[in-house]
Amino acid sequence: MLCEECGKNQAEVMMTTVINGESITRHLCRECLKKYESGDLQAVLAAVLSAMTAKNQTSDAVCPHCGQTYAAFQKTGMLGCAGCYQAFRKELTPLITRMQGRTQHAGRRPPVSEEEQARQTLMEDLRARMEAAVAEENFEEAARLRDELRAMTPAKEAQE
Amino acid sequence: MSEIVLTSRVRLARNYEDLPFRSRISAAQGEECVQRTLEALRALPQAYTFLPLRGMEENEKKALVEAHLISPDLMEHGESGAVLVRGDQKISIMINEEDHLRIQGISAGENLDEAAENAFSIDDELQKTLSFAFDSQWGYLTACPTNTGTGLRASVMLHLPMLTLLKQMGKVNQLAAKLGLTLRGIYGEGSEAQGNLYQLSNQVTLGRTEKEIMDAVAATARQMAEMEKVFRKKAWDKDAVAFEDQLFRSYGILCNARRMPIKEFMVHWSNLRLGASMEKLPVSINTCDSLLTGVQPAHVQKAAGAALSDKEADAYRSELIRKALNDGGNS
Repeated sequence: MLCEECGKNQAEVMMTTVINGESITRHLCRECLKKYESGDLQAVLAAVLSAMTAKNQTSDAVCPHCGQTYAAFQKTGMLGCAGCYQAFRKELTPLITRMQGRTQHAGRRPPVSEEEQARQTLMEDLRARMEAAVAEENFEEAARLRDELRAMTPAKEAQE
Repeated sequence: MSEIVLTSRVRLARNYEDLPFRSRISAAQGEECVQRTLEALRALPQAYTFLPLRGMEENEKKALVEAHLISPDLMEHGESGAVLVRGDQKISIMINEEDHLRIQGISAGENLDEAAENAFSIDDELQKTLSFAFDSQWGYLTACPTNTGTGLRASVMLHLPMLTLLKQMGKVNQLAAKLGLTLRGIYGEGSEAQGNLYQLSNQVTLGRTEKEIMDAVAATARQMAEMEKVFRKKAWDKDAVAFEDQLFRSYGILCNARRMPIKEFMVHWSNLRLGASMEKLPVSINTCDSLLTGVQPAHVQKAAGAALSDKEADAYRSELIRKALNDGGNS
């Protein structure tokens, strides 16, 4: 039988990958196995994606931002836009975990934007004025400020 | 360490949050990607050269690849691709590569820190006015999920002639793989590493900080350099005359040949650099390293200022080599 990766050389080894709790076995030649074992993530990605395709493990998810389908990603290994990460989060999670070994980013982050900074400054100001109003027993003003603060808090922060 | 490490490079993959990735980007959006990058970097104090690849001569592009200022991937996507290069060539910013931006810091010797600082300075400058695609779980988002997270690849170029000669590269490769790093030949295809030059770099980009990634690469590079030194010493102690003979033969050929094909050059160059780093040959490491890039095929054509046939190029290459070794061999 021919190697399932390159389709050129004779397959000599069996490689088993476990993804989503299901094991996928592929027959590879020594050259392709070497590529896989070298830890080259591109090779790992290609191998896992083609194994999933072979097993018909696909998804009909489509990115609403750019129109890319998950099936197209399975073929090329390339996403269409940043929104694809959100649209295919369910499908990408096990894949990224398998490749990267970790699931949570560490390191540099974008700076907080000026708008965000302005928003935070304004909220601090409102909070101070609300506390002052409470201290002065001006409860009507305090309640108004509280509502204003609530309206400015993003849903995610409000849950925390 | 510069005895064994030629260069250190750090690249950051970044994408603008509002533009599609390469597989779905339009020509107009690609142009927008270039323009906003140029606009955001206008205030940089140092001089940069902006080189759009469209309309650039094929040989010029190849020379940029040989100098590691652009990737082969960018060269192949010349329609919208462009690069910004700082005057001292320590920073190159590729635009419309696999990701919108590939910011590269390049330093001589073992100096990942400097390379990273330079790359981060561009990242910071751009993020003053522009927003990159970022996810709180997956970090900086990239066209291929193999790069997401830090988007950082730290790599060092190592010269390992003795480990190669004494068939130790299998062991060295395992050492790299165990730590999630890879080692590949830089010149030459497949398993053959021309010039005994290898690139050690990280594969994993998510869940480790930039510093953790760079430290792992630097520590492993140092370990490989130590192994190489041990084998050099062993070979020298075993038969110093044979060792020197090999170095001086290559030196003699490079100083005297009248036609030098690139493949043959790489063999002798490896001995030349080995001799220079062990201070056995009257050549400096710097001369070796600039010669390496300077006589690659596109550089030879460029230096000649004319399209040369293979034979003419080999003759001109030998001339460039002789000149470098005779004039500035000790500089």
